[in-house]
Amino acid sequence: MSIPVHEALPARRHRGLVGLYGLWQFRDYLMERGAATLIVLGLFSYLSVGEKLSELHYRAEHATAAQIAQAGGAEAWHTAQLQALTSNFLASFLGVVVFVGAVFATQGIVANDRKTGFYRFLFAKPVSPTRYYGQAFVIHWAAFTALVSAMALVYGALVQPILSVPLLMAVAVMFLMYAGIEFLASSMARWDWLSMVAVAVTATYLWGRFGTSPSPVARLVYLLPPLHRTAEVYSAVAQGDALPWHLLAWFGGYGLVCVVAALFVLRYRRLAII
Amino acid sequence: MISFSHVDKHYRGWAQSEVRALTDLSLEVRTGEVFGLAGPNGAGKSTLISLLLGFLGATRGTVLIDGLEPRVYIEANGVGYLSELVNIPPAWRVCDALERYALLAGVPQADLSGRVSSVVEQLGLEEHRRKRVRQLSKGNLQRLGLAQALLCEERVIVLDEPTHGLDPLWTQRFRDIVDGLRAPKRTILIASHNLDELARVADRVAILDHGRLQRIVDVRATRNDVVRGAPYRLVVQLGDDHVKEQFPGARALGGGEHELHGESLESINAGVARLIERGVLVKALFPVHSALEQQFREAVGAGAENGA
Repeated sequence: MSIPVHEALPARRHRGLVGLYGLWQFRDYLMERGAATLIVLGLFSYLSVGEKLSELHYRAEHATAAQIAQAGGAEAWHTAQLQALTSNFLASFLGVVVFVGAVFATQGIVANDRKTGFYRFLFAKPVSPTRYYGQAFVIHWAAFTALVSAMALVYGALVQPILSVPLLMAVAVMFLMYAGIEFLASSMARWDWLSMVAVAVTATYLWGRFGTSPSPVARLVYLLPPLHRTAEVYSAVAQGDALPWHLLAWFGGYGLVCVVAALFVLRYRRLAII
Repeated sequence: MISFSHVDKHYRGWAQSEVRALTDLSLEVRTGEVFGLAGPNGAGKSTLISLLLGFLGATRGTVLIDGLEPRVYIEANGVGYLSELVNIPPAWRVCDALERYALLAGVPQADLSGRVSSVVEQLGLEEHRRKRVRQLSKGNLQRLGLAQALLCEERVIVLDEPTHGLDPLWTQRFRDIVDGLRAPKRTILIASHNLDELARVADRVAILDHGRLQRIVDVRATRNDVVRGAPYRLVVQLGDDHVKEQFPGARALGGGEHELHGESLESINAGVARLIERGVLVKALFPVHSALEQQFREAVGAGAENGA
């Protein structure tokens, strides 16, 4: 057997430039997930706030002199009304923002590549799935937080400023919890967003039902995040109160454990298995 | 370079029914050779490739690339890989897809556009650069798959059905590309149903059937072998009637073509000489099956018997 002699192959130069590939992952988030998130949340907020703003204008036109005087003048009356509107909006809407954002950002993040076979070309390259998907998760997290900041700025320009560090902290931590659960589900099975919804519903129900039970079996609820208390976080942001840090640590820690577990699964579970 | 040692791969379904995709498979692929993998559908070729890329784990036995577990080797070095189904997100543009894969393959940023342009030109994709993947025809998609496998100078190249969907012109060009890829330190593994293709490009071909390695054919050594008793095709232009007299067992196929069975090469030569003496104008004489095809038929027949 003779083999034609060609030029010697160069020594292996680089591993995959996964860090640079992050720009593509960011672009993918914006095009495929961020746009959808923005449209859904934009419509939802318009429907929630638009009508109430019209109502506010109507009330402003029909407010009595006594009401205005009691509030300390027309400006103060208007500010107080906007404050109340924004508080109600944040308390009711922030949970939806984070939940929908997490579902959109992490839906199929791993499972889609497995299901469609896209992983085959990606991971024939010198790239570790753990690094690739871990980076994708972090980029989606950061991009979602940036998206919420942009939406908050728009809200600020149209209604009243709401962008604050506590708001972003709450959004980032709550996103980490929901998206972490979904990321773990996506690394293991196809039905990731359904799994996340199932965990959310189950956790809310079981914590509400058995959270205060003295039974040792009831302690199993500690395996689930205390989702019956998410309103405490959103209310604190809405009212401008101090954030419940112990609760945020619990939610964030739960999400972080899920992310680490997902990376562990990605390290050891074969990619062709779905 | 690549070794499979006593590898078993069994799948277990929900109903606990076990499918044995590979059984006790041992194989060594040497550095510098082009190695073919042939077998009927379900023989275990795709499973073998998934094991080689670390996308699946073996139930028993070991798979090594350059002495390393496949994922360890690939995450450090990468392999040029074309899968049987070219799975690239349909919304990606051709040039973007190649740029993305080049980054992941470790092509330095400074060389990125040059390297992408080079494979685009090599695979004739210039006019499709701005198209989305979903707009490509089957053949162009296959060429894109091949292009992304050639982005880097990998030491291991794995091509699964590389000429699937290619027209004859590009099938020929593919052979030239493989010839161009041959290098003393490079190992190329090609899985294909197309035995003619493998006979032309491979040095050795492993024949799989029912998840077992049936035999390894040294194609270079057997390329010109004559298999005793193998059928031959005789084509004559004049004197068609004399063929039956000379070869009573010949089967007439029409248009001056006859198939000769069970004849030794000596008797065929002698018979053809007599035909020529009688004024028969012999147009062509060739074996119906290549040596590899003949070996494949025997091996797959044996596999069917073993599997039964």
